[in-house]
Amino acid sequence: MSGVVDVGVKQPRKLTLLERLYIPEIVKGMGVTIRHLLRNIVRIRNLPTILYPERRRDYSDRFRGKHILTTRADGTLKCVACYMCAEACPAECITIVAGEHPKIAYEKYPVVFDIDMLRCVFCGFCVDACPKDAIWMTRNYEMAFFNREEAVFGIDKLIAKPGLPVKDGLGYRPYYPGDGTRPPADASSSPVIPGDGERELLREKGLDLHHTAGPGPLNAPSPAEKRSRAS
Amino acid sequence: MSSVEIVPLTPVAEKLRERFARSPLASRVAVVDLDLPTLEVSPADWPAVARFLRDDPECSFDLFLDLAGVDNSKRRGRPSRFEAVFHLLSLSREEHLRVKVVLPDGQSPSLPTVSEVWPAANWFEREAFDLFGFDFPGHPNLRRLLCHDAFVGNPLRKDYSPGQRWFFTEEDLRMPDWAAHPEEKAGHFETQTISIGPSHPATHGIIHLIARLDGEKIARAETQIGYMHRCFEKMAETHTWNQAIPFCDRLNYVSAMINGVGYVRTVEKMLGIEIPERGQLVRTILSEFSRIMDHCVNIGTNLVDIGALTNFWYLYQPRENIYGLLEACCGARLTVSYVRVGGLAIDVPEDFVSRCRALLESIPKFLDDVDRLVTRNRIVRNRFAGIGVVTRDQAIAWGFTGPALRASGVAYDVRRSRPYDFYDRFDWDVPIATDGDNYARYLVRMEEMRQSLAIIRQALEIFPASGPVSSEDWHVVLPPKDAVYHDMESLIFHFKLIMEGIRVPVGERYDWIEGANGELGFYAISDGGRGPYRLKHRPPCFPMMAAYEKIIVGGPLSDAIATLGTLNIIAGELER
Repeated sequence: MSGVVDVGVKQPRKLTLLERLYIPEIVKGMGVTIRHLLRNIVRIRNLPTILYPERRRDYSDRFRGKHILTTRADGTLKCVACYMCAEACPAECITIVAGEHPKIAYEKYPVVFDIDMLRCVFCGFCVDACPKDAIWMTRNYEMAFFNREEAVFGIDKLIAKPGLPVKDGLGYRPYYPGDGTRPPADASSSPVIPGDGERELLREKGLDLHHTAGPGPLNAPSPAEKRSRAS
Repeated sequence: MSSVEIVPLTPVAEKLRERFARSPLASRVAVVDLDLPTLEVSPADWPAVARFLRDDPECSFDLFLDLAGVDNSKRRGRPSRFEAVFHLLSLSREEHLRVKVVLPDGQSPSLPTVSEVWPAANWFEREAFDLFGFDFPGHPNLRRLLCHDAFVGNPLRKDYSPGQRWFFTEEDLRMPDWAAHPEEKAGHFETQTISIGPSHPATHGIIHLIARLDGEKIARAETQIGYMHRCFEKMAETHTWNQAIPFCDRLNYVSAMINGVGYVRTVEKMLGIEIPERGQLVRTILSEFSRIMDHCVNIGTNLVDIGALTNFWYLYQPRENIYGLLEACCGARLTVSYVRVGGLAIDVPEDFVSRCRALLESIPKFLDDVDRLVTRNRIVRNRFAGIGVVTRDQAIAWGFTGPALRASGVAYDVRRSRPYDFYDRFDWDVPIATDGDNYARYLVRMEEMRQSLAIIRQALEIFPASGPVSSEDWHVVLPPKDAVYHDMESLIFHFKLIMEGIRVPVGERYDWIEGANGELGFYAISDGGRGPYRLKHRPPCFPMMAAYEKIIVGGPLSDAIATLGTLNIIAGELER
């Protein structure tokens, strides 16, 4: 704690004769600007003004840019369509339609995963909300569109293609190398369960591992039903 | 109103009751103690109570802070549907007071205006008229303020459906009555009414100033705002407590961090949780950097308006570097969304302290340059000194807070009057000036930046090298990701927090911090649901904008632009 300082007293209201004469003040002012000019010539390659797009700003690895959907080792989306990101999103820009994956270990997957980039406020709440490490952000901030339809990014634009580098590098994500977080186990490495890929067939026979035959409250609607319901 | 006997009163509320006991209004005012001493009065008694509160030497609630309408129709436990909740401040005792005017059911909501008691109430009452449909008999200019003239309904009433759209065309634009007819004086040039804005480079944001010019002097003026109204308060009601944080960034977007801190502090107080020291210090350091940015932008753009472009570049460089620091911490430059209820989104990067120290080294150089170019410059003096004068009494009556109030000679700073976080541990001065003109406001802001640097320097000295930045109450804060991935209990906490949101106990709270522009308050009401039942933001520049049309009268138009700059109007927080 300290006191109160009156800054008005420190600056006398009356200007001195020299200050009123303009010329010395102009010379003094030019001194400041010329000093800046010379310094900028010396550091011409390191100016605070960036000549975009030839040069770009270096953003940190926490930058919240365009999202990516991460994939398992076999190239499928890690997303299990749990809707938590859509629920956490303050801009309500995420649309998910869930489907039942033929591989039983994957359970659910998103048939549709759309992010409306014009609604998105890039707050990173979706990344925080994801319990499956399925959505990350990148340092890509250049997303120009010609119309509103193009601004809705589907899985094809969001998926991080395995093996390909992410444009502009990774940004905000749930954990960083070296912070001690162990990523969740990759479900694609789980052993093949008998019946994998034959869910529809099994259900017709009443043998589905996860669902009993016949309509019931536990039965999830088929992807086609969900799609028609969503539209 | 029977709660007077049940709730034990704090000393302040007890004193207030004693004061009222000696007044003729004794039997008609209920004193309740919530987070603040609270009075409950009926609309008919309100003007008399208001006068008593302002004039009684032991009360002297001379500064009008805020008016929040509340629609109780979806909430239990309140006697009637509508309430007008006033927040007042006594500058001499640095005490806050809440007054609830309970509007009886069965008639259209109406309460007498207090814009004669506190001139600052004028625009706040217009806002309540606009958003809640409250009538204020006796109000001099009761028109819509934030919503446009073609708007139908009162958006903050609970029965208003937020999906509706009202289209506004040029035909719907209503000019004030006085502006419609030019005034002619004998032997004088014809006066002329002109519009400056809504979209004008000097209005910085979208503000419509209608001015009647007599020659070059402004004879009468009125400002129309609302072009950037996004109904932050209605949006907060339809989202969870945490989801309102990104919206807060867009209030005063020049110092977005401070808004978030102000909001989450209010919610944390309601929850009764404390955050670790390290988290508090990060908030303090980044808030002070944001304050420097805010003042840089303010002074820089203000000098551009009066023709001194060079300073703009010098002041924008520190701002650019501070944005770099914010981006390294949270991933965004402007809309940071860094705070969370209970702490921060993510710990600061490893090089945080060294980056802060580098900024502390570089910023003063730019301030010195601007100081050298501007402070004793004769042209700037002529444009600033003696222009836009707001006297001490006017500043208080108009509800000024922050640098503009301090430039008028009142040393009120929330960081000093009610030190939060660590402000009482730091050695710093509250800069004031007595002239209340543009020059005084410029000087106060320049000195405040240096004081902020001093605060940051001391905060870095006690900054713990490691430790948590967030509370470990998993009902409020998301558990660490490692636990979410591998531990079922943490996953359940995570799931509950995302899907249901934070459960804030039923109650209400007004909490205030020092924003870059003045007292930044949030009045939040919780009904125990997913999100705020009502969230009112007290924008510091709102009363200043209301007074602007009175300050500029009598001066030339060019001075009005300089004054608009020094008052620091941020449209995002002005119109919410």
